[in-house]
Amino acid sequence: MSDKLHPIVERAGREYADGKLDRREFLRIAVLLGVAAPAAYSMVGLSAPAMAQGAPKKGGTIRLGMRVQDISSPHTYSWIESANSARQTLDYLAVTGIDNVTRPSLVQKWEATPDLKTWTLQLRRDVKWRKGRQFTADDAIWNLKRVLDDKTGSSVVGLLKGFILSEFDDGQKDAKGNPRKSVKLWDANAIQKVDDFTVKLNGQTANLAIPEALYHYPLLICSPEDGGKFGIGSDGTGAYELVEHEVGKRSLYVATKTPHWSGMGPNVDRFEIIDLGDDAAAQVSALASKQVDMIYQGAISTLPTVERLPHVQVNTVDSGYTAVARTHPIKPFDDKRVRQALRHATDTEAVLKAAYRGLGKPGEHHHVAPVHPEYANIGFMKQDIAKAKALLAEAGHPNGIDCQIDCRPQPDWELLAVQTMVEQWKAAGIRAKINVMPSAQYWENWTKVPFGFTTWAHRPLGTMVLGLAYRTGAAWNEAAWSNAEFDKLITEAEGYLDVTKRREVMAKIQRIMLDEGPVVVPLWRAVFNYSDKKIKGYKIHPSIYIDIKDLWIDA
Amino acid sequence: MLRYSAKQLLNMALTLFAVSFLVFALNELSPGDVTRKILGPYASQSQVDHLTREMGLDRPAIVRYFEYMGRALTGDFGDSIYYRQPVSTLIWDRLGNTLLLAAISFAVIVPLSVLLGVLAGMRERGWFDRAVSVFSSMCASIPEFAMGVFLLGIFVVWLGVLPGTSPLRADSGWAIWMQFVLPVLVVTFYDAGYLIAMVRSSMVEVMRQPYIRTALLKGNSFRNVVAKHALRNALITPFTVILLQLNYLVSGLVVVETLFAYPGFGRLMLEAALAKDIAVLEAGTLIAVSVTMLTQLFGDLGYMALDPRIRV
Repeated sequence: MSDKLHPIVERAGREYADGKLDRREFLRIAVLLGVAAPAAYSMVGLSAPAMAQGAPKKGGTIRLGMRVQDISSPHTYSWIESANSARQTLDYLAVTGIDNVTRPSLVQKWEATPDLKTWTLQLRRDVKWRKGRQFTADDAIWNLKRVLDDKTGSSVVGLLKGFILSEFDDGQKDAKGNPRKSVKLWDANAIQKVDDFTVKLNGQTANLAIPEALYHYPLLICSPEDGGKFGIGSDGTGAYELVEHEVGKRSLYVATKTPHWSGMGPNVDRFEIIDLGDDAAAQVSALASKQVDMIYQGAISTLPTVERLPHVQVNTVDSGYTAVARTHPIKPFDDKRVRQALRHATDTEAVLKAAYRGLGKPGEHHHVAPVHPEYANIGFMKQDIAKAKALLAEAGHPNGIDCQIDCRPQPDWELLAVQTMVEQWKAAGIRAKINVMPSAQYWENWTKVPFGFTTWAHRPLGTMVLGLAYRTGAAWNEAAWSNAEFDKLITEAEGYLDVTKRREVMAKIQRIMLDEGPVVVPLWRAVFNYSDKKIKGYKIHPSIYIDIKDLWIDA
Repeated sequence: MLRYSAKQLLNMALTLFAVSFLVFALNELSPGDVTRKILGPYASQSQVDHLTREMGLDRPAIVRYFEYMGRALTGDFGDSIYYRQPVSTLIWDRLGNTLLLAAISFAVIVPLSVLLGVLAGMRERGWFDRAVSVFSSMCASIPEFAMGVFLLGIFVVWLGVLPGTSPLRADSGWAIWMQFVLPVLVVTFYDAGYLIAMVRSSMVEVMRQPYIRTALLKGNSFRNVVAKHALRNALITPFTVILLQLNYLVSGLVVVETLFAYPGFGRLMLEAALAKDIAVLEAGTLIAVSVTMLTQLFGDLGYMALDPRIRV
């Protein structure tokens, strides 16, 4: 155990002893604040989970069943699958772990000024490109400038726009003939080289999620000599080299001869990606006949079969993946009592069981997941039909309301969740008609339908999701929701690096979401996939990022 | 006959042109835009706009259609936007795989159906006839995906004696020939069920003819009558049906190919349609339509050879 404990850890320890804090919560706080995990476990009288898997062994091949996509342009990736491929050759500046904590990678240490506007990134000095060159600040800066260049078309722009970019009129028109706004670095010195191993990001606003943004999946660090292209033989700082690649069929990576600079691996000699198509049954067949050792992502429909395969294990992790039933501020949903009634009428535990085989956590209607570090436990909202009825009557609907909810048919759990909720709502007098549209059509209308069910991806911080989805005027604010108090608080929360402080603000935000918010959040999905038991060292990441260098085979 | 063939070929060219326009129009009209399909739901709008400009999709559809057809006429089918390869290399490779699967299946289905159909039909309502009829109607009524999952359950999950997918690679732990067993079985069960019923009913029909009875009454052996008098006549009707199966075997294997992750033409077309990969879709449709129309032409010509009464 460390000599000097952070005061918050000490306080949390006392709260845990008094029963005010649950064990998981305590462990998270302690680890976030720098207590090593085994030490944190022993502080609450538990022994750390034993590492029964032994020391890594060398050799062998891992074959992953996953779509093989066009991976030629890392900075513009829009699929996790592409990043899972190139990640074996290219590294990131920072890495967010399976516990949602972001740790150093090519950046050895970061420091933010108290106003969170300036971030100093210290790079590792012991990293070499596979082709021999030293990794320096110039490489990092070239990549950062390239992803932030409007002409590249990277989604990193959306993430860091407020922080470091400013809009200007570039004189061009978009497809509809409207003047197009381009973005550029707000200041010539925004990305500053301090010395060969130090980079400074000089932002215009506070941003606490810079380390998380550095692990945004397209921000792979390419060699400037490859000009932002990736393919067979491309240079990288990673543990593998791409030697074969055919879209729709197969990719092959082989391990570099030298150990990876991180001290982890590579252990496995060859890493193969095999494209099995989108058919879930083909994935199970390939796994059953040992033609692949791992499946990128499991499907609820194949879970019962896979559970019966003796050589396969199901890996699960709780995540911030969800789908929300969200309303527009039009009749009858413009009255907050009607929105509250929707939440009170929903039994989220039952929805989780019916739609997702209980894999995950029941939703709490505020779109901040228990896995988010700043999640505040403000009490679980149980189903309360009487209250829902009373609220509807108060809002002038004593006989209930009629409405239509739009959703899509795939993946099947989404429709199941909607059907379950609609059944539950009937008891409170909310009669919803389900309108199923093809996925492609739904994505054209998702911000336009008055009442819809929309899937949301996991993001490491609660502030990131809420900022994207509920801030006034945000591009993805599908509910067209606007609440001045919420906007103020979310900006305040984004300004705190200290998780406990952020959580205090988040508790207020969550209460606003329960009281006024536009959404019903029925469940938090656990993310799961399948792997052969001979693969050791694997733990599934909430975003299903796969890093082969950490794994080994013990048959 | 030459005139007939020439007329049919001209007909085919016109149909191909009409179909190519239809496919293009349908693709334009179906919901979702190409760039959004490629980039997925999490891509930002600016990424979508960026790719739309890069691919020239902001120009009118009719301009793009004629530009595409102009190039296609010179033999350049363009590049696949999903697979990032020239369509010609992609399609011939996948078509080759499908033709291989089709050929093996065809070589199993035809002798099997003719044998079972003839044996069953020559003694109507005998025990063998009843057994074959039950078997064939069972096979024909189980959809391919159900049959596939059923066989996968037995041979892959339970017994573990056959590979569950067929990537056609020798290094996947299973010999290539073993990777063909399940796909061929599924296709055979599904297709032979129908064909057996066809051959059988045609055979039954022929066996009821007065000339068969006459031949038998004249003292010819049953074996001799079946082989010399009944067989050829009984096979005229199934011949067309057999040719139509070629058509199914080239463009209808999509279910089997998807189920077994078989790198074939049907799966390619399905994925191209889902990805709105117009270059692959156009080229694939043109091939499928050509195969259909050519088998019809051969069917007509073959019919003529089998039955001297028919003249075109």
